[in-house]
Amino acid sequence: MSESLLGMPPARVLADLGEGCVILTVDASMYPQHAVYAAAYCFIARCYVWLDRAEPEAFRVVLTAKQPTDAEGLRALAGEFSNELLASAWRREITRLNRGLIESVTMQAFGGAMGPPSLDDLEAFDFSDEPFDDPLGIAQSWEDKYRKPKPGAETGAETGAAVAAETDPQGGAAT
Amino acid sequence: MSLEVLQSGAALDTGGYPAFFRFREIGERVVVTSIEGEWIVLTREEFRGFLRGEVDRDGALHQRLVERNLVRESFDARRAAEAYRRRKRFVHYGPNLHLMVVTLRCNETCVYCHASRANLDALHTDMTIETAERAVDLILRTTSPHVTIEFQGGEPLVNFPVVQHIVEYATQRNRGLGKQLEFTMVSNLSLMDETKLAWLLAHRVQLCTSIDGPKSLHDKQRKLPTLSSYDAAEPWIARINAAYREAGLDPTLYHVEALLTTTKETLERWREVVDTYVALGCRALFLRPVDPFGFAEKTRKIVEYPREDYLAYYRRAVDYIIELNHQGVEILERYAAIFLTKILTGDDPNFLDIRSPGGAGIGQLAYNYDGTIYSSDEGRMLGAMGDPTFAIGDVRTSRYRDIVSHPTVRAMAIASNLEGQPDCVDCPYVPYCGTQPEHNHKTLGTMMGRMRESSMCAVHKGIQDFLFEKLATADAATLEILHRWTTIRAREHFVQPVAEGG
Ligand code: SF4
Repeated sequence: MSESLLGMPPARVLADLGEGCVILTVDASMYPQHAVYAAAYCFIARCYVWLDRAEPEAFRVVLTAKQPTDAEGLRALAGEFSNELLASAWRREITRLNRGLIESVTMQAFGGAMGPPSLDDLEAFDFSDEPFDDPLGIAQSWEDKYRKPKPGAETGAETGAAVAAETDPQGGAAT
Repeated sequence: MSLEVLQSGAALDTGGYPAFFRFREIGERVVVTSIEGEWIVLTREEFRGFLRGEVDRDGALHQRLVERNLVRESFDARRAAEAYRRRKRFVHYGPNLHLMVVTLRCNETCVYCHASRANLDALHTDMTIETAERAVDLILRTTSPHVTIEFQGGEPLVNFPVVQHIVEYATQRNRGLGKQLEFTMVSNLSLMDETKLAWLLAHRVQLCTSIDGPKSLHDKQRKLPTLSSYDAAEPWIARINAAYREAGLDPTLYHVEALLTTTKETLERWREVVDTYVALGCRALFLRPVDPFGFAEKTRKIVEYPREDYLAYYRRAVDYIIELNHQGVEILERYAAIFLTKILTGDDPNFLDIRSPGGAGIGQLAYNYDGTIYSSDEGRMLGAMGDPTFAIGDVRTSRYRDIVSHPTVRAMAIASNLEGQPDCVDCPYVPYCGTQPEHNHKTLGTMMGRMRESSMCAVHKGIQDFLFEKLATADAATLEILHRWTTIRAREHFVQPVAEGG
């Protein structure tokens, strides 16, 4: 049976003590889907995690503790999830804004640590294969990935916005 | 307008005066820093003027702000870029610190150490010669021109023949490579004897030990069956220091350094801890809080403490260390020295846990006795506790470039880049600070961490608050002491000769 937890909004957080789980409803207009994934992923060592859509505009997150727990333990899980959700959403935005700085420093750090490939490395490299697996199409151009006309062909601002909206409900950096 | 208005995020008319800055109030003062780490400490009144652009262009404050490159109209972008580049110099090189766990066997039992030790009969936890050689082969592939191999355990003296082999093999292999190679051994010294010492001195292996404070505290935390662990270490510290002097080495530079682990019981005994280190001839004391790695949950209650208590202890101890310096005793606190070097010199001493991105996997690696490679010693300890998240290779099968570009290492570099962290991006200490993904993973369940809840962030923030307070209010003699702590003198004697017979 579901019940509310001390200090948690009952419309958003409910607990089922018998099942040892907490059920959170997340407003999809406030939090991007990626942030929900990122926050939920942090709990997989301690909980079984279930995600679905409670309503068209809300995600439902069910965290079931792997070890038996009480109301206080469930309250801690719900609170920690909420904090991680906010951190994930905000981190994503910060990363987008600081992308240039983060990328240049991180890439230099890897370049510096790896150094140029040795002859052994080159010998081990399989040139005959596809360059590398790219299931998410990260290395593809935006136009190829979404089958859009190349620049120069007729393209409009609303097309980009539509694609962004399609791939990211918040309209953030889509590719 | 008050600072509270600014903090509430209300629209602000700065008159276009300040260049990009971050700030934090400490008491009645405000620390202001730039993206590249220039800094100034202002009074609240001065800060308001800075914000509004109401600063007399002919006055001293304007001059100070211009000197720190904090004024938009005179902002020197090239200087800022150079300063940023200098601070991040470490990103051009790969791992320079390589920790080798030559055995887990140890004759001492410490209250805060479970994952890092095994009983003396656990011979299977000794590193073999073959594993050691494969590890050295990988180590010498690093792109760093400086390589330090640090022997850890367990107690490394338990597996001394492998230590000897590593020193000889690595020195030999390095002859054609010419890297600046050094060896350090962290030992409890209780198994030292004259023969081993003579060999270690002849082979220029730097010796470090662990001292947890006065004898009663040290013995309580580090148990040696039937003996005092303090009494087992202390004579050897004196003996080694005497040997350095006999070899004509400068004792201010060459002496045994010790590592402290601060537990709950240490907090009240800060004065005794400092006095013990001074009496042992140490020139540095690292007031490290206890790590969350490697001990069981029930031990946590015995050794852990709230971070406010730690910070109060830190302040008392460092104030006392400064007082001793005024009396002519030369001893520094290591955290303070690391942060002050970054703040006062614009350089980065490349302390691997306090840099951004952090050093895990790209600045340091740990080699377990069984050949498993971890991102760091903390990652190894988590591995020993059954969490293999930070295992990134094996000395028998992994290639160097695969290790340093391992997906886990990549994730850690991103996670420890503070420019992508909530809180850090608004924190004035970001140019000097760092986070540790292993610590975040262990304490907060995510490599990224959440700085508001991070005990490591609380420690770093508290220490930097304290240091900026000092920089703003200290007298000239104290400032000179703090500046002296940033002087890094190379210990050339410990660098291995690269020429045959050198
Ligand atoms: S870790 Fe903490 S103290 Fe360091 S920069 Fe981030 S918020 Fe500031």
